[in-house]
Amino acid sequence: MNAAASTQDPPRAIAFWRTAAFFLLWMLLMQSLKRADLVMGGFASIGATWVSLRLLPPSSGSLRFSRLLALLPHFVWESVLAGVDVARRALHPGMPLRPGFVTCPLGFPPGFARNTFATITSLLPGSVAAGEVEGEIVYHCLDTSAPVVEQIWKEERLLARALVAGRHHG
Amino acid sequence: MKLILDLWTIVSVLAGAFFFFAGTVGLLRFPDSLTRLHALSKADNLGLGLVVLGLLPLVGSVAAGIKLIGIWLLVLLSGATASQWIARTLRQSGPGQ
Amino acid sequence: MAEFLVGAAAFILAMVALGLLRILRGPGDADRIMAAQLLGTGGIAAVLLLGAASGEAATADVALTLALLAAFAAFAFVKAKLGQASGESRPTDSQ
Repeated sequence: MNAAASTQDPPRAIAFWRTAAFFLLWMLLMQSLKRADLVMGGFASIGATWVSLRLLPPSSGSLRFSRLLALLPHFVWESVLAGVDVARRALHPGMPLRPGFVTCPLGFPPGFARNTFATITSLLPGSVAAGEVEGEIVYHCLDTSAPVVEQIWKEERLLARALVAGRHHG
Repeated sequence: MKLILDLWTIVSVLAGAFFFFAGTVGLLRFPDSLTRLHALSKADNLGLGLVVLGLLPLVGSVAAGIKLIGIWLLVLLSGATASQWIARTLRQSGPGQ
Repeated sequence: MAEFLVGAAAFILAMVALGLLRILRGPGDADRIMAAQLLGTGGIAAVLLLGAASGEAATADVALTLALLAAFAAFAFVKAKLGQASGESRPTDSQ
C-alpha cells in the first residue's frame, strides 16, 4: 500500500506515502469535495496509516507501487484466463481434472514479499497457494500435468522488480 | 452510439452471467472442496469483472466508473487472499475432504 | 435496458442460490465459508446490476460493504481454524 517507498526510506517518509495512498483511496470511494468529508478522510487516513505501521512495519518489506501498477494489466489478463480455464473444465463433459499439490521453491524470503507473491499467484489459471512446507510454497492445482512451476517462476521474475524483501525474516 | 454502448452492456453482462453459470456448474460437479474453491474464486471473479465492464457505459461519470473498477479489483485481491487461506486450512485438515 | 439488467441480476442470484445449496451441504466448515465468498461475489454483481437498472448510485457503496463483509468473514474463519490446529507452518503474520 505504501507508494514508491522502499525499506531504505526513513520511517517518516513511509508514513507520509502510506497516508497519501489511503487518502487517495478515500477520495476514490467518497468522491466528495465537501470540507467535512475531506476532514473525515484526513483523520481516517492517519488512523489507517497508524494501524498499517503496527501490522505491517516497514522492516517487513515493501512493494514498489508504481511497478506493481504497471504489472496490473498482466495479472488482470491472467485472472481472465483463470476464469476461462475453470469454466472450460467445469463445462467439459469429460471434466478434465488432475487435482493435486505442487511444491514450488522460491527466491522470496518469508514475510511480506512472499505473502504478496502467494496472493498474486493465486490468481493464475489452475493454481491456488495452500500454505508453506519447509520454506516452499505449496500450490493446489487443477491440472498437475500442466507446467505449473514454470509458470510460477515466470511470474516470480516479473514480480521480483515490484516486491522488496524485508530486512529480517518473518 | 447509444446502440453500440447498449450492445456493449448486453454482451458483457451476458458473458459475466455465463461465468457465474460456469462457476456454479463447477461447484456442483467438481469432486472435492479444493477443486470447488478454484471454481468459486476464479470463475465468479471473472463473472463480476465482466458485469462491471458492461455497466461502465451506464455510470454517470468517469469517477464513478473508476470506483466500479476499484470494487472489482478489491474483490479480486480479497478473493485471492481469502481463497489461499481457505486452501491452507483445507490442506491441513487433510486431503480428500 | 432496465428489464435486461434486472433479468441478469435474477439469473446470477439463481446461480448463487444453486451454488449455496451445494456448498452448505459441506462436508467441512471450509465449504461453508466458501458459501460466504460465493454470496459476496454474486451478491455484488446482482446489487450493481440492480443499481444500474434503477439509476441509484448508492448501490456501489452497498457492493463495497458486501465485499468487505465477505473478506472479514473469511479471515475470521481462517483465524479461528488455524488457531485450533496445532499444525505445521502456522502463520506468524497475517496480511
